[in-house]
Amino acid sequence: MLREWERCPRHLLVSERSNFQLERSRHGVAVRGHPFNYRVSFLIPECGALPVKLKSVIKNFGKYYLVKDLPLHEFVNHDFINIFIKKGAFYALSYNTKIDQDNTAAVLPTGKLILSVDKDTYEELGLQGQPSRYSGKKVMRYIVTIDLTDASFLPDTKKHKRVLWALKENMPLKFDFLLAWHSTDVEVSTAMSYFSKLKMKEYEPNITSSILRDLHCPVLQNSELQGKPEESCSAHELFDWLGAVYNNVDCNNHSYSFISTYCCPQPSAVLSQAYMCTVTGFILPEKIHHLMDHLCQYFDEPKLAQWVSLTVHGFADSPVSWKESEHGFHKSGENLYNFVIFNNQDYWLQMAVGTNDDCPP
Amino acid sequence: MIKVSKEKSHEVATYERQVQKNVSEYHYMKIRLEFQEKGVHLNAPHFKQLILSALRDLHGEVGAALPFDILTFDEKSFSAILRISNRGLVKLWSALTLLGSYQNHKCAFRVLQTSPFLLALAGNSRELALD
Amino acid sequence: MVRFKSRYLLCEIVVDDPLCRQIISQGLVHSTLKEALIRAHGDFGFACCSVSFAVKYVNAYTGIVLIRCRKAFYQLFWSSLPFITCLESRGQRFPCFFNTLHVSGTIRTCQKYLIQYNQKQLLRLLQNSTSDVERKLIERSIRSSLEDVDDEEDGQRSSEDELEHQ
Repeated sequence: MLREWERCPRHLLVSERSNFQLERSRHGVAVRGHPFNYRVSFLIPECGALPVKLKSVIKNFGKYYLVKDLPLHEFVNHDFINIFIKKGAFYALSYNTKIDQDNTAAVLPTGKLILSVDKDTYEELGLQGQPSRYSGKKVMRYIVTIDLTDASFLPDTKKHKRVLWALKENMPLKFDFLLAWHSTDVEVSTAMSYFSKLKMKEYEPNITSSILRDLHCPVLQNSELQGKPEESCSAHELFDWLGAVYNNVDCNNHSYSFISTYCCPQPSAVLSQAYMCTVTGFILPEKIHHLMDHLCQYFDEPKLAQWVSLTVHGFADSPVSWKESEHGFHKSGENLYNFVIFNNQDYWLQMAVGTNDDCPP
Repeated sequence: MIKVSKEKSHEVATYERQVQKNVSEYHYMKIRLEFQEKGVHLNAPHFKQLILSALRDLHGEVGAALPFDILTFDEKSFSAILRISNRGLVKLWSALTLLGSYQNHKCAFRVLQTSPFLLALAGNSRELALD
Repeated sequence: MVRFKSRYLLCEIVVDDPLCRQIISQGLVHSTLKEALIRAHGDFGFACCSVSFAVKYVNAYTGIVLIRCRKAFYQLFWSSLPFITCLESRGQRFPCFFNTLHVSGTIRTCQKYLIQYNQKQLLRLLQNSTSDVERKLIERSIRSSLEDVDDEEDGQRSSEDELEHQ
């Protein structure tokens, strides 16, 4: 029994090394497959001011919307499906719902409506779903997936009627939703007026940036993912160090310090300055991909920096992490990934998930 | 720790994937100390001493010998990030929960977030406050 | 039926001062163990062990004690034993340490071990004895213990008698 308390819940860290130019490079899969992103941060070593291009990219991250008390049956309405789902990538995630205690809903850009509901709601709802993978022997949570683009989901089909009845009459579920839409040919704000009959508010992602001085930074070698003793640091060490940087942790501790003995991984070098920027909100994968392309172009002109890093945090309470793999909240609901982009277009990709999560793609 | 490593040979050593299970030997906790009344001052060494005494009360000398680090400490909000080895997480967490007072001031620890990855503490989506 | 599983620890209190033997009692041993447990493992450790924690048997002459503890937590308890350095009673402190002789799941195996152990101790006494009277007394008790091995009471008493005579 004592041993059990010393064990920790499992967590996974996937590290990949590849090159952007490779045909089989999977960076797009990782970025596009991660639909709900809460925070995007990047760190550029040896950079005092952000290049104009990058500045405009993060300024144009696009708006997102918070719609209060949006009834779920709006999403199965065919007007909605024709306007949003079929003409672009629509993202919706219920706001302020904790996936370990409340009902949660999300709409994926693939046109799937996913409900993660507790047992009581599920039994009243009258829709078919699967028991959650992480709810143990006694199932307390169910996942209901409705494919809105399915051919059998046309108006007046039996399936559509059933779903509409369940969500409209039987169990009118309402959530506050975070919405965002990505479309190449239709103006987003005009389309969003579809929801104007509800209480809707528009938000801009929040941008903060800072310049760090005299930063101890681990030495990296793009070909050595696991690192070499005395020569370069491993991907996992870097991952840890990035956490320390984003949390403003002091890396200059002595081994005899009472407060903290945390140190920068060795071998390390001192950076005179580094630019750190954080964008917080409901951010679309398309925008992140766009930002990543621009970060790659950062090295088109010769730069002092060897690499730049791009970190993306997912929503802890989203019902999916990557693609449609189920996501849950155990002690924490982390699902995040980090790119380290080297100046020769090599990259490292690290994806980390917690306990109630599948292995990332 | 289990390491699975696969290398795709047809993309000669340019693609490498590595899946690491339970790779982090530490857990990180973001906590905040709350006092019932205002005007209590506390600095980082006192804060650590407080946690140590909580550990000593609940888990004895063995508990107090657990090595943990205070990575950050904010003297205004009494919020901190702690680093603890995986096997000490349960002990530390329980000791924090059961702590009730500091120098006769009633107080309580709130655990805001825990994660095996320090990077995950940099973004907590539950803190997204929109009005 | 599920049985609550216990561990029995057979320990010997080793003391220098023969005066100390007078103060060894069930209550004193219990409180000493409790204090050591709280110091080493805190309130949590004591709470884990306190269910079914008992000092089952104390022999003040030989310093043998038998302690019962829940199987799930006996390691917590066991690890606190080395930290006991003295017995304290009415303001008097006697330096001592606990020597664990045997750990088992039933009281019966502890008894068997104790009888064997005491026989060995008698033989050792016999070797070290100097006077004839002593030698005779020891031989008598060894014989009596061999006659009735299974009767614990008897074996115990004879060894007690023996030590009393020393």
